Amino acid sequence: MSLFQEYFRFDNLSIFVGIFVWFFSILVTVYSMGYMRSEKRTPQYYLYIGLTLIASLGAVFANNLILFMVFWGFLGLLLYLLIGFGKNENTPATAKKAFILIGGTDVLMLLGISLVWKLTGLFEMDLISIPLTSKLAVIAYLCLAAGAFAKAGAMPFHTWVPDAAEDSPAPVTAYLPASLDKLLGIYFLARISLEMFRLDSGMNTFLMFIGSLTIVAAVMMALIQHDFKRLLGYHAVSQVGYMVLGIGTGNPIGIAGGLFHMLNHAIYKSCLFFSAGSVEKQAKTTNLDSLGGLAKYMPVTFVTFLIAAFAISGIPPFNGFVSKWMVYQGILETAKTGGKLWVVWLISAMFGSALTLASFMKLLQAVFLGQPAQGRKLAAKKENREVGILMWLPGVILAFLCLIFGIFALAVPLKHFIFPVILEPIRFFGFWSAGLATILLIISIVIGLLIYFLGRVAKLRQTDPFIGGEDLKNNPQMRISGTEFYNTVQEIGILKIIYRLAAKKIFDIYEVSSKITFGFNRALSYLHNGVLSTYLAWCLLGMGILFYLLLR
Amino acid sequence: MIYLIYLIIFGFFLTALIGLFASWVDRKVTARVQYRVGPPVLQPLIDLVKLLGKETMVPKGASKFSFLAAPLLGLGSVILVSTILWFNCLNPQRTFIGDIIVVVYLLVLPSLSIIIGGFASANPLASIGSSREMKLVLSYELPFLLAILVPVIQGGFTLRLGEILTYQVQNGVILGSWSGFLAFLVILMCVQAKLALVPFDIPEAETEIVGGPLIEYSGTPLAVYKLMKNMLLFVLPFFIMILFMGGFRLSGAHWINGILKYLGLVALITVIRNTNPRVRIDQAMRFFWGPMTILAMMAVFLALKGL
Repeated sequence: MSLFQEYFRFDNLSIFVGIFVWFFSILVTVYSMGYMRSEKRTPQYYLYIGLTLIASLGAVFANNLILFMVFWGFLGLLLYLLIGFGKNENTPATAKKAFILIGGTDVLMLLGISLVWKLTGLFEMDLISIPLTSKLAVIAYLCLAAGAFAKAGAMPFHTWVPDAAEDSPAPVTAYLPASLDKLLGIYFLARISLEMFRLDSGMNTFLMFIGSLTIVAAVMMALIQHDFKRLLGYHAVSQVGYMVLGIGTGNPIGIAGGLFHMLNHAIYKSCLFFSAGSVEKQAKTTNLDSLGGLAKYMPVTFVTFLIAAFAISGIPPFNGFVSKWMVYQGILETAKTGGKLWVVWLISAMFGSALTLASFMKLLQAVFLGQPAQGRKLAAKKENREVGILMWLPGVILAFLCLIFGIFALAVPLKHFIFPVILEPIRFFGFWSAGLATILLIISIVIGLLIYFLGRVAKLRQTDPFIGGEDLKNNPQMRISGTEFYNTVQEIGILKIIYRLAAKKIFDIYEVSSKITFGFNRALSYLHNGVLSTYLAWCLLGMGILFYLLLR
Repeated sequence: MIYLIYLIIFGFFLTALIGLFASWVDRKVTARVQYRVGPPVLQPLIDLVKLLGKETMVPKGASKFSFLAAPLLGLGSVILVSTILWFNCLNPQRTFIGDIIVVVYLLVLPSLSIIIGGFASANPLASIGSSREMKLVLSYELPFLLAILVPVIQGGFTLRLGEILTYQVQNGVILGSWSGFLAFLVILMCVQAKLALVPFDIPEAETEIVGGPLIEYSGTPLAVYKLMKNMLLFVLPFFIMILFMGGFRLSGAHWINGILKYLGLVALITVIRNTNPRVRIDQAMRFFWGPMTILAMMAVFLALKGL
């Protein structure tokens, strides 16, 4: 028992994360039973899912840094194996990219752990408390933070997330990059930022910078995507920014907001990936150009998607609003201690929210509303078009949680999961009572319904759409798919240059470093071109140098 | 229970009445500018009642639920915002932290409801209009947020409307300071775009996309949208008044002052709308992300300096 207590640790933070690791594992397993039914290698698939659960729990509860690192490394490998279940052309390359990025940062973490050991001589997380005064401590912190960033998908180590979202099966994306990796990455960031290291204001500013940059840059990329799952993948990056920003504020309400956002994000992003998977299952594609008008055929998926989309955009009274509000309040708290940069953080966080909403409106048009694409194949019978219960039930549960965690934020999730984690007391009087606001919103909508009743809306008549006299049936090319909505944004001022550079993958740390590596290779490969006379010339040269050194 | 009374009396009835009246002012002034007589006072109300009696039509291939639910979402959120604002004005002490953020987020919902309604129509013109509305939201949101920061900073880093009002009672209106004046100019432009009035009526643009998102709406849902727009014509200037002009107080002669401030704002909005041509969406984006954002940043900078 003492051995167990020596290596593992059960405190409020790890228990909270552990509970939700279990929760998402169960939901993903249920969803997979529907999604992976007709796939090959299902026993291996469920084996990997189970191993991921065990490794995640190990990483969450481990107290010894070496033990933690072992579990953490396993997770990288399992991610590689799970992405491999995708069927796209690029799947192997994507799996390799994810593995290399995560493996590379794992090496950095090992370096960080060894530096921690050099500084303190300890491996026990709960005993370590290092002030960021020496250069060595700063480097150690940054190395460990790099690992957390890569796992959670914050910039600059984010590039594997959108690729993995596009090329791996939807339940895998919902499981690892959307929920477990976020929980674990932010969990570890919270551990090192709140316990193992004592951050100064400079490092807090650095964290807030990373957070704001991640929010805005990733969501700008999301605006212009053409693939359902890839677009969601960029949001999985963007939302990490709020969590890093919250933890970076360094005051209790900001940290609580960051952790709450981590939980909320896992909930609605899994829900979104589940609905993307359902759409993919029924329409056989996730390309936004060839979807559209699915709301009529997949009503349950549509409603869960809509709720999750509102939640991620921070529309009250859903859960995303509450956590974002707490992060904003945290940022404003930092303003009171001086400093001018808080304006930048606050504006990028709030404006990022508007951009998020914009990209989800695009999805709404391209996938669920709008006109259906030409030649789209759906099941013949109308009642067969919604996915089976195994696939819509997890989404419904998550959408329900979005609502509950928003309306009863103070009473349920914050009270039981988040506040016990923050040791300092949080001043929280006068918090907006979401329950009251929801009741008022419902009454306001009832007023609208009364007006509908007055106007006898029930007597509907169906008509052809009016296109200024044109006939829509004979002009099928008159369809707005929605993918070109934000082309205007791409053409404005400096954004044009940035988007062009992004298209060349200048901001992709994986591509850049692989280019550097292969650049070295190319230089060295001149030595090995297979021409015998060149080798002979090198031999003679070497011999000459040797003779000179020996005989001079 | 008191909230319910506020909601029904102030949030809905009073707001709707003032909104209808304001839309009459708008139409009358427009008519006079164009050498026409203009409608009688009751005309906006008569229009609504007439629409209620008309048949409701839903386009084929549309998502019926989203098509009909979208107007309700918009109307509901406007009523809620209006209730929060009235409550703030009449009881500045009894408000909650962060109500500015709630109001800002709720003010996006009317645009959102128009966008969803347009998408749900399964009509290419409506989709184009909705996408323009979304881009317009994106463009004005950045300077709008920056401009709102000015009262937040001047009121002592508070996210509470009540504290901003109290600050203005003690120290004079925020419009009187340099930063406040600049931010006011910016937010006036943003409100013009939020109301989708000329020069920013790009989403509706009757002459090119026939009303955009509203093209397929008829009868009662259209009446709800019209009512929502009329109510916004009250709610948005009211929000500006609270942030920059000391709000609306019922004590003493302040209420006349409040009415004058409101009518002045409506007249200003109407004049802007009548003296400008419609711009293109990319021009609007450049305008808001360029000059307006820079102006708003200057205002924030001045506010941080204490001017």
